[in-house]
Amino acid sequence: MKCEHCDIVERKSKADILYEDDEVVVAIKDLAMTPGQITVFPKEHFTILEVVPEEILEKCSLIANKIGIAVFESLGSQGTNIIIQNGLGAGQKVPHFAIEVVPRVENDGLGLQWDAKQLAEDEMATVFMTLEQGMKELDSSAEAEKTKGKDETGKDKKNSKEDDKNNYLLKSLKKIP
Amino acid sequence: MDPQQLTPEQQKEMEEKLKNMSPEELMEFQKQQCIFCQIISGKIPAKKIYEDDKVLAILDINPAAKGHILLLPKEHYAIMPQIPEKEVGEMFIVAKKMSKLLLKAIKVSGTNIFIANGLVAGQKAQHFMIHIIPRKEDDGILEVEEKLTDQEMRTKVKSLIENKFNELMGVKKEVLQVESSDEEVKEVEELEEPEEIKETKKPAKKVKKKAVKKKGKRENKEKVEEEKPEKESDDKDDDDDDDGGNASLDDIANLFK
Repeated sequence: MKCEHCDIVERKSKADILYEDDEVVVAIKDLAMTPGQITVFPKEHFTILEVVPEEILEKCSLIANKIGIAVFESLGSQGTNIIIQNGLGAGQKVPHFAIEVVPRVENDGLGLQWDAKQLAEDEMATVFMTLEQGMKELDSSAEAEKTKGKDETGKDKKNSKEDDKNNYLLKSLKKIP
Repeated sequence: MDPQQLTPEQQKEMEEKLKNMSPEELMEFQKQQCIFCQIISGKIPAKKIYEDDKVLAILDINPAAKGHILLLPKEHYAIMPQIPEKEVGEMFIVAKKMSKLLLKAIKVSGTNIFIANGLVAGQKAQHFMIHIIPRKEDDGILEVEEKLTDQEMRTKVKSLIENKFNELMGVKKEVLQVESSDEEVKEVEELEEPEEIKETKKPAKKVKKKAVKKKGKRENKEKVEEEKPEKESDDKDDDDDDDGGNASLDDIANLFK
């Protein structure tokens, strides 16, 4: 499968590489929300956030933070957005997890907003209950995963066993032309 | 979130009071004014999804979509560059968990992890937060157009950012100075510039910690001076000047009051 970010790693792309180590790549891509946008992504091909191992995610986030600081201080930006587009519905275009650092200045015309909704009390309560329940399930499955992982390797098996939803997400991402 | 209206006299009195505060008192004052700090301390109720000793995740009361989660550090920080490294990493790991929760519990086809640093980036509260937003196609959230940038622009961006970034990463670049005595040399990279560049890796964590501490102090001092919202857009190419560089960051943090 063709992946734009893997192409960058293999030097098959026009993007400039700003930094690279064994795990993380920082690149300036030709397609950007605004000039100066910088993309931080793991070297290994992970499709979505949910399958990125914690150590790699942590490293990506620290590097994205540093890029953010560098952007503030050397591009004269007045602000930054740090964005992860996770899944097709969230605007993810490349099937390879990435953190985008977007420098902002006043009146730059970037949208990146939303209309805040006013939810009724009972709607809020319903969502809250759903998430509370979901959280419990997540915790118990994580617990089960942990003990299973210990039996096998003694290490957390890096989230390899994902739920159906994630598989669905992965599948839909593979459909990207 | 406007504080109560003050008369000019009261305002003056307040300004005077602020000026005489020690940095610690100022921090405390800032926290008292912050609605999210009050949520964290339990003075204002919120629908809590997740909590540990460092972070709190709550439901946004004015969400972009049902299930919109705000992930807050318990400590009061205005923007991401002020947060200690370790906490940044921990927050992203919790953000991943929250995203997983949304995908599992609500029928959505994706999530956005979104951070706004600074007013111009759309930051609305003075307390740093990570938004985790459930998404569906064509919901109009965080819409943005991507455009092609030219090579010239990308090269320029790269050259502007590279020095500062390498400095932050603890990668020291020395131009035309090759010292074989240094054992920590890990890679020699040929860049687009004609000069030969040597990269030396040094423990990044130490450097970063110092920088954060320094920033914290500076911020407090500047807070006192900064009463009128003055915006500085210093296009400084000079990265060696640490203090000058930090100033713009602090300005951004101080825009929230």
